[in-house]
Amino acid sequence: MSRVWIAALSGFALWAGSTASAQTLRIGVVGPMAFVQGEHTWHGATLAAEELNRAGGVLVGNQRYRIELVRVDTNEMTSVTDAATAVERAITAQRVDFLIGGFRSEAVLAMTEVAADYKKPFIITGAALDGILAGRVDRNYERFKYLFRVSPTKSSDLARTSLLLLGEVVQAVRRDLRIERPKVAILAERAAWADPLVETASRLIAAPPPQGYGAEVAGTWRPSATATDVTPELTAIQRAGAQVIFTVLSGPVGVPFGRDWGRLKIPAAAVGINVEAQQETWLKATDNLGAYVATLNTLAPAVAISPKTIPFISNFQARFKQFPIYTASGAYGALYILAEALNRAGTTAADAVVRALEATDYTGPAGRIVFDKTHDVTWGPGYTTGLGVQWIGGRMQAFWPRQWRVGNQTVSYAGVQPYQLPPWVVEAWRR
Amino acid sequence: MTSPLRIWSLPWTLRYLRHEVLALPGRTAALLFVLFLLLFPLFSQDPYLLRVLTLTALFALYAASWDLLSGYTGQVSLGHAFFFGLAGYASAILGRELGLPPALTIPLGALLATLAGVLVGLPSLRLRGPYLSLVTLAFPIMATGLIFLFPRFTGGELGLSGLPRLGQSRLEEYYLVVGIFLLSVLFLWKLAGSRVGLFFHAIREDEVAVRMVGVNTVRYKLLAFAVSAFFAGLAGGLHAHYLRVAGPDSLSLFNSIQPVIWSVFGGIATIYGPVAGTFLLFPFLEALRVAEELRMLAFALLILLVMRFLPQGVVRGALERLEEECPRCKVKNAFTRKACRACGVPMHLETREVKP
Repeated sequence: MSRVWIAALSGFALWAGSTASAQTLRIGVVGPMAFVQGEHTWHGATLAAEELNRAGGVLVGNQRYRIELVRVDTNEMTSVTDAATAVERAITAQRVDFLIGGFRSEAVLAMTEVAADYKKPFIITGAALDGILAGRVDRNYERFKYLFRVSPTKSSDLARTSLLLLGEVVQAVRRDLRIERPKVAILAERAAWADPLVETASRLIAAPPPQGYGAEVAGTWRPSATATDVTPELTAIQRAGAQVIFTVLSGPVGVPFGRDWGRLKIPAAAVGINVEAQQETWLKATDNLGAYVATLNTLAPAVAISPKTIPFISNFQARFKQFPIYTASGAYGALYILAEALNRAGTTAADAVVRALEATDYTGPAGRIVFDKTHDVTWGPGYTTGLGVQWIGGRMQAFWPRQWRVGNQTVSYAGVQPYQLPPWVVEAWRR
Repeated sequence: MTSPLRIWSLPWTLRYLRHEVLALPGRTAALLFVLFLLLFPLFSQDPYLLRVLTLTALFALYAASWDLLSGYTGQVSLGHAFFFGLAGYASAILGRELGLPPALTIPLGALLATLAGVLVGLPSLRLRGPYLSLVTLAFPIMATGLIFLFPRFTGGELGLSGLPRLGQSRLEEYYLVVGIFLLSVLFLWKLAGSRVGLFFHAIREDEVAVRMVGVNTVRYKLLAFAVSAFFAGLAGGLHAHYLRVAGPDSLSLFNSIQPVIWSVFGGIATIYGPVAGTFLLFPFLEALRVAEELRMLAFALLILLVMRFLPQGVVRGALERLEEECPRCKVKNAFTRKACRACGVPMHLETREVKP
């Protein structure tokens, strides 16, 4: 009996010893956890951490590290001060080694100042404004070299993609309605980020091909980002005779827009950026009136941007019963990118990890990620571009990139379907 | 023969401490609070704790500035973030454009906020109650609109980042902010207790009566706006450089409402009430990070409970129980005293049944 006890005790001591010596990497996952953006950041990181840990953890030098995620609720939608304090708490009290996440650009700026103070690598997965990295990493490299962004593509690149989507719809109008010079109305929320996009779109729409779209600007309307009714703007657009509405909407106004547009059957196809329409709750939010709305997005069901896209979406849906938004794929990719960089660096020392991160060439669920000189994700064919999606038949369907020709390259993803003009638009303009 | 005590001599200080400070629980608590702030780094220099205390001191100054205007003169400002945010932006822009250090740009920003205070105060001369509150609320909204209108100058949604730090370390920043906070609150407290403060009080109670005795209430109302805006601006400038970002968030409605919550929680029209309210609520909200789902719920519940059981605020409610006024000379005494410390009269008159 005593032998059994000794054996049991020895086994316990061995187990305890091995547990005590097991190394862990503490990753702070930061975001507004009460909101879908923060929740999906956490879910995406959780999925990646579970996969990496199941595979034996992260190999750094000769040592294997388990990943331990630390949930950091930044409350950044309400208070920037709160967000920066949460990050300092994560670094000093919760002892995180690396940070991923962040959503609201203004809050991310304050959070990254804290991360830079402590020289903690911080991979951003949710904030889009260019100025978070441009003008900081390139101009003050020693302080800000710890910052990287994997998703989304920066605002100016989002603008580029949304204009390509507009081009696709202008072509559809020309082809299906036989209108040689379509009229495009610009509906952009009153916000600073939308201004350069409105300016560029106005120029591009009117410019002759091949630089521009050879179309006509029917006018520009700027509702508030929190407007609950856009009927006056839509009625004016209808009166202006537009066949296309280029939307630049990131705020809650996206939902009233979709609802009013579908209810009034405005004879103009809606395309551009509509963040509300990126979520799987879109049709429910618009009482099913938001069908045929097209928007820029990161992922779409059954569209394989890379071999990792479909498995990621399936695993995410199986585990969390939701379709992942871009912060989920960003956080998922960020953790793998960090794991690979740690593996290449062979150490957890921040400066060496930064150098290894700079050499990243990783293909994740949303595309290939290679960092540019400002540590931002590279945009373009062969890298990450985003998708154009449209709500058809009760589901999100991708329509871009499909036979997208850039120089010698042609970009096309499996599962992308042709764009469809809303039937009432076709009916209105074929008469 | 003993020589008379000289003011500020050590025996005088000790005697003052014993008879005027330690004799009252409220003053003892205030002394302990100041000592705690000054000596805290001797026990811990944890950067997170220093950050929480620094931010609390900043916001306590902001809340006290709101109290001077809204608590004392009754001109309820719902747009106090205008002064806070304006000074932060002004300090950031002055630093960027003229290359001035924060030691200059923060006071300059506060002075600009003072001017803005007078500007906001002008419509208040004809408005009262909710009308005035709505006018004050309009100013930060207009300022936010201007920020989005000139993004190249103001940084738009992103704000202005990379501002110079207040000090070389968290400890240096802590002592700088705490020092400014203590001096500013002392000034506000003295002002509130002075003749000027008396006029502020009187304007809140009955402005017409004050005017009828020949007091220029316009001057005093504008003065309240200016002084309040200066200290709100001072807090705003310090905050921007502490976070190293001056952004639209500093002008948000949430930032305007915060000093109201802290002041009402601590006890309005006291100056020390908002300070106590901030020092209780801000760290409490931080401590609640351990239960993030319940954080805002617990916070709201605490405020509801305090408002139910201590409607005058925590500080006033506590002082009412810990201190009593002498029935004869009206001097404050600790609740434990049986006789007044000033005139010796029994604090509680014993009633005896007289038998015929």
